[in-house]
Amino acid sequence: MTLHTHWLTRLTLTCLCSLITCTVLASDHTRTLTHALGNTSITGTPTRIVTLYQGATDTAVALGITPVGVVDSWLEQPTYQFLREQLANVTHVGLETQPNLELIASLQPDLIIAAKMRHEKIYPQLSQIAPTISIDYVFQFKDTVQQMGTALNRQTQADELLNHWTQRVADFQQQLKTTQRNTPNTVSLLDFRPDHVRLYLQDSFAGSILTELGFTVARNQGSHNQWALKLTSRESMPSLNADVFFIFKLTDDPVTQRVYQQWTQHPLWQTLTAVQQQQVFFVDEVAWSASGGVLGANKMLDQVYQHFGLTP
Amino acid sequence: MPKFYTVRHAALSLQLNLKTLSVLALLLPCVLACVLLALSAGSQWLSPLTVLNELVADGRYAFVLETLRLPRIVMAFMVGAALAVSGLMLQSLIRNPLASPDIIGITGGASAAAVFFLSFLAGSLSVYWLPVAAIIGALLTALIIYGLAWQGGVSPVRLVLIGIGLAAGMNAITTLMIVLSPIATSMTAYVWLTGSVYGTNWQDVSRLLPWLLVLLPWAMSLARSIDAQALGDATAINLGIALQRDRLLVLFISVGLAGAAVAFAGAVSFVGLIAPHIARLLVDRRFASLAPVSALIGGTLVVLADTLGRTVFLPLDMPAGVFVAAVGAPFFIYLLYRHQQ
Repeated sequence: MTLHTHWLTRLTLTCLCSLITCTVLASDHTRTLTHALGNTSITGTPTRIVTLYQGATDTAVALGITPVGVVDSWLEQPTYQFLREQLANVTHVGLETQPNLELIASLQPDLIIAAKMRHEKIYPQLSQIAPTISIDYVFQFKDTVQQMGTALNRQTQADELLNHWTQRVADFQQQLKTTQRNTPNTVSLLDFRPDHVRLYLQDSFAGSILTELGFTVARNQGSHNQWALKLTSRESMPSLNADVFFIFKLTDDPVTQRVYQQWTQHPLWQTLTAVQQQQVFFVDEVAWSASGGVLGANKMLDQVYQHFGLTP
Repeated sequence: MPKFYTVRHAALSLQLNLKTLSVLALLLPCVLACVLLALSAGSQWLSPLTVLNELVADGRYAFVLETLRLPRIVMAFMVGAALAVSGLMLQSLIRNPLASPDIIGITGGASAAAVFFLSFLAGSLSVYWLPVAAIIGALLTALIIYGLAWQGGVSPVRLVLIGIGLAAGMNAITTLMIVLSPIATSMTAYVWLTGSVYGTNWQDVSRLLPWLLVLLPWAMSLARSIDAQALGDATAINLGIALQRDRLLVLFISVGLAGAAVAFAGAVSFVGLIAPHIARLLVDRRFASLAPVSALIGGTLVVLADTLGRTVFLPLDMPAGVFVAAVGAPFFIYLLYRHQQ
């Protein structure tokens, strides 16, 4: 009996010990992250992070972290409305495409979050400033959450965010199936620009989300890193055809408005299914594209719920 | 007191003008002052004294100065110098003051190749291969220009006309490729086409340097022949110049300089046109005098343009090419105006 108790005590002690070691390890151990631009060792929990693309800034806020430096937003400059409160006094380090390296260095960060698509050339300098991790493309919001979760020692929160997302997607699909008689199958995401019209594909931010929700979005035609098609001729209009059009709200730019007029008044426009069925809707570009992060993705999902008259 | 010093050696034969030497002696401190100014300016202004201190003994600004600012400045200077000498050689070769690497299609060829690389190869190859693509583009274009201009020898007028035609063609190809390219790359392509030394590191510098170390002295060794060519084909041949051989050499050294510079900094325009003209206002029209002065002026122009780009719109970091054009365009108009008078 004594022997038995003794054994139990020892076991408990060992367990306790290893538990303590684990906690210490979790907060202070060095881990190596393999990412799009190499391997990076990170020690402890970074507290001063600089995010160099929109999705990373969004994800930092989602993980409950305020970065010390962020890049200017594409719209609603310098910061998207939905992030303004949390990022009120954060330093801006320039544009996503050409951030100011000196400013980044002066912030003395302990982690930099970059994207290969934008920052491959400056990766050596970034790594000299602080450990830098990178994803391939700026719109891979799930990869961003996972990578930042590991790098920032917030694995649990990251998993929660992704689980929550998966649950919401399942809930949306369930609700859609039970409430709608004929749900649209194919969806086209359009963006009118001054010199072309963009058709976002399956691999884009909104395209991947709509695909995950069960809609069919135009697919990449072979060549890699193609997440949108640039249409420069109105004759290519038939390639837009789908049951529903979601169009990013037009800017005030008169040239863009003229392009929109020219396209929508063209005889071919009237032949498109979505136009005939009056299924053309304007959506918010920040949530649907420019935000690029998990918070933006959830905002977009809210709007999709709303669009179908469902409650998120 | 002699007006000229004549240097004669097996490989090198040139005359140095006393006035040129004094201009160079004045210019050098100015250039160094500009470099010091460029080192001081940035997101945080450091006094020139601090800068000098930091360069000698590494302090807390060592990283900003030695890893971020200095390689960028050195690169800007080399690019400007190479483009200036390249432009000067083309202007002498074609005997036209408006010639420059961007006008006769060399920059255009490099641009087309670079945009092709960014649009269709960037996903599978690292961006570090971009300069190689650009240099190949520049050399290929030069070969095509030379081949098309050949008619039992190459005349300057044919060279420039075909060059301008090819430049237009290359611009068309570049535009076409931007239209066809995936959206993600158009932005990178536009920055490249403006010309930028953003994100330069010492490795880039060490890869451009050999081109200059070989080509600039080689250009100087041709000084006598270049001056003779400026007198017209008949006179040059009478003076014993191997005209066609030297013309080919001059063309290819000039292409090599422009191609290498553009490969690392993108299609910086105007420097190749303007720097030689400023040099002509300062020194006599001997190639041996014009080349070093053009190089210093071209280099300084790009350094100043990049300094403006880094500091004027903080925290934004603008491509140097924007400001080269901003300084270059008014000067170009002034030059045309003076020619008219």
